[in-house]
Amino acid sequence: MKQFKPALRLFLTASLGISMSSAAQQHSANEWVIAAEKAAYYAGDTAKSQARMLIVDGQGRKQLRQFTLLRRDIEDNGDQQMLVFFSRPSDVKNTVFRVEKHKAANASDDRWLYLPALDLVKRIASSDKRTSFVGSHFYYEDVSGRNTEDDLFSILKDNDDVVTLQAVPKRPKTVEFAKYEVDIDKTTLLPISIRYFDNQNDIYRKVDALEISTIEGHPTVTKSRISDLKTNGYTLMEFRNVTYDLTLPEAIFSERSLRQPPRRLIK
Amino acid sequence: MLKFILNHTKAISLVIALITVVSISQLPNIVIDTDPENMLAADHPDRLFHQQVKQTFNLNDAIVLGFVPNSPLFEPSKLSDIHAVTQHLMTLDHVVKHDVLGLSTVDHVTHLSPGEINFERLMKDAPDSLQHAKAIETATLDIPLFIDTIVSKNSDATLLFVPVEDKRYSYAVAESIRAFIATLPSSSEWYITGLPVAEDQFGTEMFIQMAISAPLAGLMIFAAMWLLFRHVTLIVAPMLVALATVLTTMAMLISMGFSVHIMSSMIAIFLMPIAVVDGVHVLSEFADRYRVGDDVNDVLTGVMASLFKPMALTSITSAAGFFSLLLTPIPPVQIFGAFIGLGIILAFLLTILVIPIYIAHLPTSKLASLPKHHRSKSRTNRIIASLSDIAINHKVLSLGLGLVAAGVSIIGLYQIEVNDNPVKWFKPNHEIRIADKRLNDKFGGTYNAYLVLRNTQQNATMSQLTPPSPPPSLSSWLSQIDPDIDLVSLLIEIEDYLFLSDSIEEAWLVSFAENVEKEKEKRQVLLKPQTLAAIEQLQRFLDAHHIVGKSNSVVDIVKLMNREMTSGQQTDYELPRSAHAASQLLLQYQSSHRPHDIWHYVTPQYDQGLIWLQLTSGDNNAMSEVKTAVEAYLLANPLPDQLEFSWAGKAYLNVVWQDNMVGGMADSLIGAFIVVLLMMIILFRSVLLGLFAMLPLSISIVGIYGVIGFVGKDYDMPIAVLSALTLGLSIDFAIHFIARAQSHLRSSNNINTTLAYMFTEPARAIVRNATVVAIGFTPLLFAPLVPYVTVGAFLAAIMMISAVVTLLLLPACLCIHHKVSLFRTGGKYEAI
Repeated sequence: MKQFKPALRLFLTASLGISMSSAAQQHSANEWVIAAEKAAYYAGDTAKSQARMLIVDGQGRKQLRQFTLLRRDIEDNGDQQMLVFFSRPSDVKNTVFRVEKHKAANASDDRWLYLPALDLVKRIASSDKRTSFVGSHFYYEDVSGRNTEDDLFSILKDNDDVVTLQAVPKRPKTVEFAKYEVDIDKTTLLPISIRYFDNQNDIYRKVDALEISTIEGHPTVTKSRISDLKTNGYTLMEFRNVTYDLTLPEAIFSERSLRQPPRRLIK
Repeated sequence: MLKFILNHTKAISLVIALITVVSISQLPNIVIDTDPENMLAADHPDRLFHQQVKQTFNLNDAIVLGFVPNSPLFEPSKLSDIHAVTQHLMTLDHVVKHDVLGLSTVDHVTHLSPGEINFERLMKDAPDSLQHAKAIETATLDIPLFIDTIVSKNSDATLLFVPVEDKRYSYAVAESIRAFIATLPSSSEWYITGLPVAEDQFGTEMFIQMAISAPLAGLMIFAAMWLLFRHVTLIVAPMLVALATVLTTMAMLISMGFSVHIMSSMIAIFLMPIAVVDGVHVLSEFADRYRVGDDVNDVLTGVMASLFKPMALTSITSAAGFFSLLLTPIPPVQIFGAFIGLGIILAFLLTILVIPIYIAHLPTSKLASLPKHHRSKSRTNRIIASLSDIAINHKVLSLGLGLVAAGVSIIGLYQIEVNDNPVKWFKPNHEIRIADKRLNDKFGGTYNAYLVLRNTQQNATMSQLTPPSPPPSLSSWLSQIDPDIDLVSLLIEIEDYLFLSDSIEEAWLVSFAENVEKEKEKRQVLLKPQTLAAIEQLQRFLDAHHIVGKSNSVVDIVKLMNREMTSGQQTDYELPRSAHAASQLLLQYQSSHRPHDIWHYVTPQYDQGLIWLQLTSGDNNAMSEVKTAVEAYLLANPLPDQLEFSWAGKAYLNVVWQDNMVGGMADSLIGAFIVVLLMMIILFRSVLLGLFAMLPLSISIVGIYGVIGFVGKDYDMPIAVLSALTLGLSIDFAIHFIARAQSHLRSSNNINTTLAYMFTEPARAIVRNATVVAIGFTPLLFAPLVPYVTVGAFLAAIMMISAVVTLLLLPACLCIHHKVSLFRTGGKYEAI
């Protein structure tokens, strides 16, 4: 599929917003995907929140990751900057995850991880984007959002409240799934469930939105769970103190912040 | 009593037939158990710990699949075969797919620039060019974790570790892999081994063997009896007894809910020869006494009168020998002993019921054809004649010979090496033995032992973690917290409250959270530099040991990540200086395609660690040697931080049950010896005669174990089990000999006349019995499974030797006893 020009994308998003209220028109799978992407990853122009991941393995053993997340959109459904500052546990404290999301054709996202005990900035190779995010069941790609251009979407089911899309990867060799299905809530436009299928057509991985609150007018997933159905492990992600549209200068999102985090913002 | 039996033949036959038929109906409920782990009781501490370790570190028993090609391994066609096999594995049920370890499933990590690394499947697809194949080779040899584990040092062979959900699936999975490999051009270059598959395959082959050996043993016994009696109709009787005994005993075992283990599978083969023994005595005596025209019932009454007591006694003593196995702490051996003991009693009852009834119902014409050869110069008679010559005419010589043999044997006893190895239960030309040898020559070893390190420091209690003087507003919240809460959950509780709290509470809660974090970090001993350094040193020691081919631990992962994250140079293949650095390096490894690999070596709390030892030998004494060496090393170089070590893994568990077995068998042997000796003393009302009765079998057992020591045959499971029960079997001859000598002496009053008589009918019965039983065990000699061969050879030997020793030694013993009694009674004769 050809990359939408930003203007066209804006237009589509806007028209989608309008048509939602009229709620009569039929929408294409791609219109749903773009609306969901915006709702899930581009609410407000900037965002800040505190987050906590509880990682539980198949035996019920728990690990904790606590962090502050800062986000700045350059453009809705477009380029985006993100910083994740870890505060707990003590052995990963001050670890920072930095993302520069690029939506231009043939561009791929840049991801870095700063490891304070080694004083090293680790660049995460593009091929590693579908690997564990700091030991959790989330992938790096799940944190910033998978590029909607990477999959081909089609509508599977369209109910009154929920539309279910099927996504098939354009380059199957780069991913571990054969396909996935997304349930999009028609009211909030948030994806509320994602199910990943393997080559045997079995679901092996599942993301569920568990709690959704409207914060500053933006429906926001405040609690979600990702489950590994093979090992029975899961990660529970919770967001707190979510604020939108605060002033976050571009300079904060530079490499400098990895070694010198903006204390004021992540307190 | 015999009258009663002969008057109710129909009713008795009907009842026996009914019981047998009911028994047969129980047989299909058989539950098979081929797990040697069950040699230990389900609640044995080492077994529980082993299972706990497997759970804690997500370990599964693995089939070891080796590929040793004749031409270079890193070449497109060979690698695509590996790839095809791996893909096939991923379609198999019961394979723990995400843990399959092999070239196609592992990750390669590449250093791109400082901090920039790339995880990539080492061989995501089969290579299409030689260049690509060579690149894979370079990449493989770049990762120390792989060398000697999944690739041989000179990169000419590879291993795939195929974990199975439960080891009872090992054989089925192995068979499926074999079937797939057979379709490949490289089929002859693949090998399958590993303890789980060896054990499971042994179980499968064992039952086939049981189905072949037991009927074959029956056939051999039939043939042996025919040679002795030359009368098919007559020898059918003991065969019926044996059949009914075996079927009823197995049915009892099955219907009582016991599973048929490696040990109990041998019950049929053991019972078959033992069950015919009494029958042979009856037939032998009957054939010797019966003349055409005699009243069959009268002859039978005479036969049973003289045989009832010795038969009852031998059955009780044999049963006692087997019941003594109940003294071992090994459940399958206890079941084996208990049911053979019951079977022997049953065989005795059936013999005294069935055989007289059977003979009484034979038409006299059939009896007329009874062979008379036993009175002629048969081979049996010639052997007996030469034995009698030595025993009666050279008493001092025979006693002396016996004592010298015993003395020499005791030297042999000290040479005995206690050792076992389930892989060696197969003969050397078995596919598993071949694979075992080939792969252990090439790699770090296919046998696993785990050295588990645990933090034993006292954990801080809730009250120690709680900062002093909590704000009063928090007291009700604090009192609700479970004092046994885990630290992560506690931290979450605190954080949740922190979110709702005011500023006064906040300061206190923050310090509470800090305490918890500190405690959490304190418990993460497996991240500490000094712990990792100690493990590194220990592994260096292990890797230098000749039996340990390779050891793997979290240290290897940390060092690998350190190298790749820093420079990619071998100089950075070292441990980081801080616990946080170790933690952050491990976090990077979790971004590989196999993040779960870490949890095979450490727990997510970093409070326990595991070193995987690959052993090149599955011999129990090899494992014991490693254990002793490591324990000595750790005594000299103690682990830091109150770390405690313990052992787990299949190779270790086998040592545990072997130790149990050796100790248990000693108890059982001593127990059986004492019980049988007491029975003999009571039976013969003489301590001296009781001791003499024990002499032939003692010399036989010591002799055979002496030979085992001299020959260098390992004292393994079957040999251990046999020790106690041979005692019960071979006492029979002494009882028959002494009991019949006693009764003859009462009428003859002349020891020389009696001894001469003893070398007629009684000696014939003893030699016949020894022959029948020995021949009955011979089919086992041709079994493809080594323990069966051992059992067959051992039992045949013990029967023959103890028969000969009985006949050679007891005449001299009886003379001594006779003289002693004469001396005691002041020259006045008193019957012994």
